[in-house]
Amino acid sequence: MAFALARSASLLGIHGEPVDIEVHVGAGLPGFTIVGQPDESCRESRDRVRAALLSSALPWPNRRVTINLSMRSTVKRGGSGLDLAIAVGLLVVQEVIPQETVDRFGFLAELGLDGSLRSVPGLVPLVAAIDDRRVVVAESAHSSVSVVSGDRVVGARSLLHVVESLRDAESWSVPRLEGSVEAPQNDVDLSDVRGQLAARRALEIAAAGAHHLLLVGPPGAGKSMLARRMPSIMPPLDAEQSLQSTIIHSAAHVSMPNGGGVSQAPFRAPHHSVSLTAMVGGGTSSLRPGEISLATNGVLFLDELGEFAPSVLDALRQPLEEGVVRVARARHSVELPARFLLVAATNPCPCGEGTPGVCVCDDRMRMRYFRRFSGPLLDRFDLRVAVTRPDVGDLLDTAPAESSNEVAKRVARARETSLKRNGVTNSSLSGELLDRFAPLSVSATQLLRTHLERGALSGRGFHRIRRVARTIADLDDAPKVVDEEHVAAALALRVQLQPAVRQW
Amino acid sequence: MVIDEEQVMACAMVAMPSIGQSRLGGLLLRQTPSQAWKALGLNDDELLARMEVALEHHRIGVTYIGHQAYPVALQADPARPAVLFHQGSLEHLAHRRVGVIGTRGATASGRYMASHLGFDLAVNDVSVVSGLARGIDAWAHRGVMVADSRGQRIAPPIAVVASGLDVIYPRDNAELWKWVAREGVVLSESPPGTAPEAFRFPLRNRILAALSEVLVVVESREKGGSMITVSEAMKRDITVMAVPGSPRNSSSAGSNLLLQQGCAPVVGVDDVMVALGLDHRRCHPQIYDSRPLPADFDLRIIEAIGREALTLDQVMMRIGSDLVPTAVALGRLESHGWLANTGGWWEVLGQLPRERYGGNDADTLPLTGAHDR
Repeated sequence: MAFALARSASLLGIHGEPVDIEVHVGAGLPGFTIVGQPDESCRESRDRVRAALLSSALPWPNRRVTINLSMRSTVKRGGSGLDLAIAVGLLVVQEVIPQETVDRFGFLAELGLDGSLRSVPGLVPLVAAIDDRRVVVAESAHSSVSVVSGDRVVGARSLLHVVESLRDAESWSVPRLEGSVEAPQNDVDLSDVRGQLAARRALEIAAAGAHHLLLVGPPGAGKSMLARRMPSIMPPLDAEQSLQSTIIHSAAHVSMPNGGGVSQAPFRAPHHSVSLTAMVGGGTSSLRPGEISLATNGVLFLDELGEFAPSVLDALRQPLEEGVVRVARARHSVELPARFLLVAATNPCPCGEGTPGVCVCDDRMRMRYFRRFSGPLLDRFDLRVAVTRPDVGDLLDTAPAESSNEVAKRVARARETSLKRNGVTNSSLSGELLDRFAPLSVSATQLLRTHLERGALSGRGFHRIRRVARTIADLDDAPKVVDEEHVAAALALRVQLQPAVRQW
Repeated sequence: MVIDEEQVMACAMVAMPSIGQSRLGGLLLRQTPSQAWKALGLNDDELLARMEVALEHHRIGVTYIGHQAYPVALQADPARPAVLFHQGSLEHLAHRRVGVIGTRGATASGRYMASHLGFDLAVNDVSVVSGLARGIDAWAHRGVMVADSRGQRIAPPIAVVASGLDVIYPRDNAELWKWVAREGVVLSESPPGTAPEAFRFPLRNRILAALSEVLVVVESREKGGSMITVSEAMKRDITVMAVPGSPRNSSSAGSNLLLQQGCAPVVGVDDVMVALGLDHRRCHPQIYDSRPLPADFDLRIIEAIGREALTLDQVMMRIGSDLVPTAVALGRLESHGWLANTGGWWEVLGQLPRERYGGNDADTLPLTGAHDR
């Protein structure tokens, strides 16, 4: 037999695309060529496949071998995940395995030189791309993929294991692991946080209405501590969100909890030295999803907001608005999901103290400090809360505060109320929907009017205050009208950062 | 403004780095500038021409030791400047003068105090002397400016600066500077074109101290320019007074230290007026506080904040209340003018309801049986 065909898949962004591996063996000088725009890691597969076949005591064709990677789109095909399919194709042309059996499977694994099978990035979307047949993957990766793809996936230890199993393909199945997905356990809990009453409420409001949150406070005030507890009070992901997040995590090759899918709101906290590419995605030929995509359906926490490169921060603006990021390169472009809740922390001024009287910065220094954040970005934080170091008394005396579970219950209820009413989270209510779903009481209108007239509130800030007030009212079991007290609370949770030129 | 040759020569001699202040002072004691110019064998006509243009262009007047317009207040001073430059009329120095100084990084209550003191002094016909620096200095004069803009009759403001009078520093105060030069007088011992070099500020402070009859420190750190002015004032036996601040507030550390050392406290304009020997309380109405008196919960919040700066968080912890009622009360107090929010920190403005502005206000409170004074 001179020709064989094996199915595999290649990754672009978070989408897999099936690749047909055509293998031809013919007369001529012994040689091995891969055609069809292979990328670097794919060209290396020739050496891996040869070593794996030989060390598994399987034959290597000493003839002229041509491999063609056939795929619909024009992107470079890549990834070491094609290794196994190439090896299987070579075995078919040497009549070790029959073509008919191979046709019923897809192959996604990298080969070790000893013939062992290894997992590759993006298995979940890759398996999803091969939707008409069963897929062979490395056994180590089997459990994490089977959570999503079920019985369609079989795991194998080595190339030899694959060959033997394919001889008796009908009965080849790997029992699904029982109880592999445990209920996610939070290792951090909101009850660890003493004091910080306002910040706790802000966290709760942010989680309920999906409002972006900025924590302003001196070092040691517990900003990061608060932010890390954010996922524990967020509503659990629904099936669709869970699948989406699992696919993104798999495509970016980020480990998932319990080896299974992502079922709880992800929490991503990139260091402030993060590059633009790592933040928005791209970089490799398969366009790896960035931190903002990984944080989809969860929290993106930026500690020390002022230390991030301005270009990185400004790149967040479009995704914050649209919920997706379009990464475009010369050959191809992909659209990656990026609907995340942004939580950021910053010091209030260069000296870090902020408290008037303790802080040694004058108005100009403060002004210059905040100039490094672009106004449009700061404007996107619906909630801006000042936090301070808790008093010693609060640390020692107070009874344990409310636990995450109790807060999460309220958050879930408020989120449900708002979704049932709006169809979207409160933070995404447009001006028109706000009028419909968040009508203001007379006194609330009056309060906002005085703030607008005093110049303490901009037009854009006005809508943001109304959205937050809507969420506060939801948490307060007032699903209809937004009252003065809700607006007052929303105003108190949105501090002015730039020192205002105040009339005395 | 007419500038004669003598003045231009005085100006040119200050601008020469080779002639020291004290040497020039000694020369001018016995000679006119033109005689000194000859005695020193100077012949830099180009410098004279340049100075004349600068003085005329920026409307800068010159006076020197021995000149008829040299301020009386400085004549007996041991460290008087040999030559003094001014924008505005020197006659304004004939007013009663009180120095109001303090830190550049002032708190909201410091700024409030400085501007109110400036306002009250000016309408009581006392000139405010200050340095036109950022913070307290500027706010004291801003208070005078507010009084002026409201059509009150004010005492002319007096400023002493470190740079040349054509070099406005800091730039943010340009408007204030020009207003002081128009309504009062801006003084400097530096010739036109002098940059605001750091060493000039302590020197400026000695003139500021010498021109003040009473020096009020509104807010000052333990070390800083204000404390230099204070020690210059003490050398000259000038009364120094200080506005008390919270012990937790580091920008009041210096002024509180002065109080510990026995300076008289200032809680309102009356204290300064008494120190000047101008007790006016019987003839001047109490300054009326138009803010509605807070009650119950609002009062608890004001008292919880007191003289500190607290975040929303800390306010909630102190009075043990929930977000919504606290936020409502804070918003109400802010709109009534009781509180101000700086970057998330709340501060009480002015006097607390229990210690009304002006200190002793026995005659404005109803005399009930419980009132035992």
